[in-house]
Amino acid sequence: MRRIIIRRLVQIIPLIFAVIVMNFVLIHLAPGSLFDVMTSEQQITDPAMLDQLRHTYGVDQPVTVQLAKYIWSVMRLDLGYSYRQNAPVFDVIMQQLPATLILMLAAIGIALLVGVTAGVMASIKVNTIWDNLISLGAVFFFAAPSFWLGIMMTVMFAVKLGWFPVGGMRTIGVDESAIGAVLDVMHHLVLPATALGLFYAATFARVMRASMLEVARLDFVRTARAKGLSGGRVVLAHVMRNAMLPIVTLLGLQLGTMLGGSVVIEAVFSWPGIGSLLFDSVMSRNFPMVLGVLILGSLLVAVCNATVDLLYLRLDPRIKAR
Amino acid sequence: MIALFIDFARRFARNRAALVGLFLVLVVIGVAIAAPWWFPRNPLRIVGRPEIWPFVSPRYPLGTDSLGRDIAAMTAYGARTTLLIGLCASLTATIIGITVGATAAYVGGWVDELLMRLTELFQTIPNLIFVLTIVSILGQKIEYVTIAVGVVTWTPIARLTRAEFMSLRDREFVQACRAMGMGSLRIMFGEILPNALPPVIVLSSLVIAGAVLFESAVAFLGLGDPNVTSWGQLIGDGRTLIRSSWYICAVPGLAIMLTVLALNLVGDGLNDALNPKLRDR
Amino acid sequence: MSGFSRRDFLMTTAGAALASGFVGSSSAATGTPKRGGTLVGTWGGFEPQSLFVPAGGGSSPYFTSTKVFERLLRLTVDLKFEPVLALDIKPAEDFRSYTIKLRPNVTWHDGKPLTAEDLVFNAMEYWKPISAGVTLDALEGAEAVDPLTVVLKFKVPVPEFFLKSVLAGKAGLVIPKHIYAGSNIITNPVNNTPIGTGPFKVKEWVRGSHVEFARHDGYWNAGLPYVDKLVIRWWRDPASRSAAFEAGQLDIGTFNPIPAPDIARLTGTKKFVAETKGYSNSAWITSVEFNQRREIFKKREVRQALLHAIDRSFISDTIFFGRAHPSIGAIPSSNSIFFTKDVQDYPFDVKKAAKLLDAAGYPVKSGSRFKMSLVSAGWFEENVKIGQYLKQAFEDVDITVELAIPDRATSLKRIYSDYEYDVAVSNNSGSIELIPATTQYYTTDGIVKGAAFRNATGYSNPKMDEIVGKMAIETDEKKRVSLVHEFDKLAAIDAPILPMVDLEPVTIARADVRNHSLTADFMGESWAEVWLDR
Repeated sequence: MRRIIIRRLVQIIPLIFAVIVMNFVLIHLAPGSLFDVMTSEQQITDPAMLDQLRHTYGVDQPVTVQLAKYIWSVMRLDLGYSYRQNAPVFDVIMQQLPATLILMLAAIGIALLVGVTAGVMASIKVNTIWDNLISLGAVFFFAAPSFWLGIMMTVMFAVKLGWFPVGGMRTIGVDESAIGAVLDVMHHLVLPATALGLFYAATFARVMRASMLEVARLDFVRTARAKGLSGGRVVLAHVMRNAMLPIVTLLGLQLGTMLGGSVVIEAVFSWPGIGSLLFDSVMSRNFPMVLGVLILGSLLVAVCNATVDLLYLRLDPRIKAR
Repeated sequence: MIALFIDFARRFARNRAALVGLFLVLVVIGVAIAAPWWFPRNPLRIVGRPEIWPFVSPRYPLGTDSLGRDIAAMTAYGARTTLLIGLCASLTATIIGITVGATAAYVGGWVDELLMRLTELFQTIPNLIFVLTIVSILGQKIEYVTIAVGVVTWTPIARLTRAEFMSLRDREFVQACRAMGMGSLRIMFGEILPNALPPVIVLSSLVIAGAVLFESAVAFLGLGDPNVTSWGQLIGDGRTLIRSSWYICAVPGLAIMLTVLALNLVGDGLNDALNPKLRDR
Repeated sequence: MSGFSRRDFLMTTAGAALASGFVGSSSAATGTPKRGGTLVGTWGGFEPQSLFVPAGGGSSPYFTSTKVFERLLRLTVDLKFEPVLALDIKPAEDFRSYTIKLRPNVTWHDGKPLTAEDLVFNAMEYWKPISAGVTLDALEGAEAVDPLTVVLKFKVPVPEFFLKSVLAGKAGLVIPKHIYAGSNIITNPVNNTPIGTGPFKVKEWVRGSHVEFARHDGYWNAGLPYVDKLVIRWWRDPASRSAAFEAGQLDIGTFNPIPAPDIARLTGTKKFVAETKGYSNSAWITSVEFNQRREIFKKREVRQALLHAIDRSFISDTIFFGRAHPSIGAIPSSNSIFFTKDVQDYPFDVKKAAKLLDAAGYPVKSGSRFKMSLVSAGWFEENVKIGQYLKQAFEDVDITVELAIPDRATSLKRIYSDYEYDVAVSNNSGSIELIPATTQYYTTDGIVKGAAFRNATGYSNPKMDEIVGKMAIETDEKKRVSLVHEFDKLAAIDAPILPMVDLEPVTIARADVRNHSLTADFMGESWAEVWLDR
C-alpha cells in the first residue's frame, strides 16, 4: 500500500515538469506577450521605461534562460511573481482557489447524488417508463452546453422566481455569524454547482445504470439472491458497491475537465474562483499565473487520481495491491 | 459481410432511441448539405430588421438576430461548421488515440509507461483552457479550433484502445499470427485493431458530441472563427439579449442540444449493436 | 478658480441637470443628503489587475483607484474646473510656470499630512515619468515654496486649460511620497491596497468578486462621504449585471453596465434611472484605421471611398441600440469646447464609394477590386458585430475581406506593435483636452511601435505636425480653439483614421441613489457626495 502511494507521488514529478515545459513553450509561441499587454494597457511609451520593465519582467533574456529560471524557482516551491496583479502567483491563486474547490466539491456532490440515484433507479426499473425518463433527462443534460444551462437557470430561478442570488459567492456588506456566512455561501452555491454538476450527473447516471446492470448479472449477485437476501439489500450492499467502481474512475478522470468547465460557469455566475483568473491570464499572456494554475491544477488532479486508485483497492476486493 | 451488416442493422434498429438519434443526425446532415441551395446568400449578411421573432415573418421563419441576420440561414450553415468540426476533431482524436493506445499496449515496457504518462499529462491539464490557449496561439481559424479540440479529446480513446489491445494481445489468434511470422504493424492494425475497434467506434461517436460542445464553448467565449457561422457564436452574440429576445440563444442552443443528443443516441445504439454482451437488454 | 463653495457647485450643477431634462431628478440634489448605508457599484467591464495601476492600466483600475486617490482639481459636468486638493492654480504672466496652493489640513489615510513635498514628488517622480509621460515633456522642475505652495516650471509656455486638464485627468492622481519614495512605483505591492487622501479607504479586496471600501473618517471635507461603505463589485457579463440590479444587489453601474435593450425595461419600472451625463471628459469613440504602410490604403481616395461605404447610422442604431451617434470629424461632439461641424463629411453612399475606388485605380476585376485584412479589436462585444458589419459593407463595394477578431492581447499586438492589418477597428477614450490623447493618432511623433492607442497607421503630414505643435503652446484660449478646428479639418480630409461613431455611455442607478453623475468623468470621481435616499 505504502509503495503504491510513493510510486504515485514519484510519478507526479515528471508530470509537473512536462506541464511546465509544454505550456511554457505554448505560451511563448502565442502572439502578444504579457509585456506587450502590460505596457499597452499602462500606456508606457518611454523607451527607457520600457527597457527597465523588460528587465523587471525578465523578458530581456532568451526564452531558454527564462524557462530554466522558472523551473529552478518551481523546484524551490516558488511559483514566481505576477506583475499584472502585483503579487506573488501563489498568493493570488490561494486567494481564489478555495472558491473553486467549494464549487467543484459541491458540483461533484450534486453530480454523485443525482447521477447515482438516477442510475440506480433506472437500473432497478430497467426498460420501464422511469428508465426511459431518466435516460432522456440524462441525455438532455449531457447534451446541453453548461453555459447555456447556467444562463437559463439564472433567468429562471434568480430573476423570475427570486429563489437564489444572481451571482457571486456571498451577500456583500452584511456582517454575519459564522453559520450565517456558511448558509449564505451555500445559497449562492446552488445554481452554479447545479449548472456545473448536471453534466456530470448525466454521465454518472448513464454509467451507473450500465454498470448496475452489468454487475447484477454477475455470479456473486445470483449467489446473494439465492441466499435469500432481499432485493433492496442486494442492490445496496452488493450491486451498488461494485457498480460504483466505474464512477470512481470517471470522477478521477473528469476532475481536469471540471476545472476547465468551471471557467465558463464561474464567468456566468461571477463566482470568484480560479477559472476566471486562468481565463484572464491566458488572454493577457500572464504566463507565471497560467503556469502556476496549471501546476497546482495538475497537482490536484494527480493527487485525486492517486486517491481514486486507493479507493479502488478498498471498493473492489478482487484487486490486490501490486 | 452483408449478413454481418444486416445483423448489425437489426440489432441497432432494436434500439428505438438510436433510430430517433440516427434520424436526427441525418436531418442535421441534410440541412448542412442543403444550406447553400436553401440560402444561397452569405448567411452572415444583414438582411432584415433586427430582432424579428420566430414565426412572425414568413421570410425569416426563425427570426433575425440583433444585427438583422437570418437565424434560419445561420443555423443551417452552423450545422455545416458544427458537423465539420465535430467529425474532423473526432477523427483527429481517434487517430491520435488509436496510435498512442495501440503502440503503448503492443510495445509495452517503457514505451507504454511514457505514452501513458503523456496521456495522463493531457488529462491533467484543464482541457477547455488548453483549447483556448491553443486557439489564441494559432489564431481564430476553424482549422485550428478543430485541431485544438482533437488534441484535448484523444485521451479516453487512447486508454480504451490500450485496454482492448491488452486484453487481445495474448489471445490465441494473435499468438498464432506471431508464430506465422507476421510483422508487428500488421498484427497491430490488421489483426488486433479490427477486433478492438467496435468499442472505440462507440467512444469516437461520443467524442463527436463532446467536440461539438467544446466548439460551442470556444465560440461562445468569442474565440471562434468570425468568418464562418457557428451555433456557439450565435449564443454568445445573443447572450446579452437573453431577456428581451431569448430566442436568439434558444434556437442555436436547441440545435446544439439536439445534435449532441442525437449523436449520443446513435452512440448508444452502436454500443448495443457492437457489444454483443449487452445484446439482450 | 477662487471663491469656490461646494454648496454653490451642487446648486448650479443640480440646476443644470434639471434643465437638461434627462432623468434629472435622479442625479440632482433633491432633499437633504442622508448619511449612512452601503453603496454597491460596478462598471461595464472586468476586475482590475490591481486596485491602482500607477501608469494607467485602463478604466478598471482607474475606477477603483479614484475612490482612494484624489487630484488637485476636477472638471464639472458643465466643464468648469473646481478645486479638490488644490485651492488655487495660477499661471505666471508668460505661462512658463504655475503656482499651486494646496488645501490645508488634508491627511492621508494613515494620518500623515499632505504637504508640498508630496506634490513635488508627484510632479517629478510620478506624473512626468510614469502617468503623464510625453504630455508633461515640457515640465522642467517643481519646487516647494512653503509647506502648502508648489511652483511648477516649464520649458515652453503651457496653455492653462491643457495643464489643468492634465491635473484633473487620469494622470493627475496624487500619491503619498512617504509610501512610494525610494521604491519602484509601478511594482510596489501597496498598489493593491492603496493609501490616499480620498473619502474611502480600502478595507478588503476579494479577488474575483469585489472590493470593499470603508469611510475615511478623517476626510478633509467634513461630513463627507455620505455613505458608510462603498462596495465595487464585478460581474463578467452585462446580463448578470442587469439581473443583479433587478435582484436589488446593485445600486449603480457606470459605463454601459447592462445590455442596451434592458435599459428601457429597467427604467420602465421607475425603480431605475439611466443617466448619460458624466462622460464628456472620457468620450469613447469607435474608429476605423487605415494602415498606410500598405500601398492601397496609402491613397487618400481609397480611404475616403471606404468611409463612404460605411453606414454609420446602422452601427449606432442597430449595433449600439441607439447608444451612439455617427461621428463628425476627429473630435467627439460631446466636446463642447473644441467640436466643430465644419469638416469634411462622409455620408453613406455605396455608388460614390465605388466610383471613387474606380477613379483611384482599383476597378472590379473578376469580381473583386482587392483583398483586405480587416482586424476588429475584440475587447468590446460591439466590435465583433462592427467587424462583421464592415466585412459586409466592404464586400458590397466588391472588396474581398478577411476578417479577424482577435482577443485583447493579440489585437494590441497586431494593430499597435506589428502593424499587421490593412483596416482596423479600435477604440479610444479622449479627454476634452485633445493633446495628446486625440492628437497622437495623427502626429508623426505619435508613431511609437508597440505603444497602443496612438498613431498606428503610419500617417505623417508635416502640416499636421505644425498645427498640433502650435496647439501645444498657444496660451490664448480663442486662438487655440481655431487651431483645433484647423487640426480637425485636416484630419477629416486626410482620414488616416477617423471615428465612425461617438459612444454615448450610460450610467444605470437605482432611483434612490442621489447626487451621481455630477462631474465630467463621473466614473473617475471619488463618489464622496453620493447618498442613498432610503
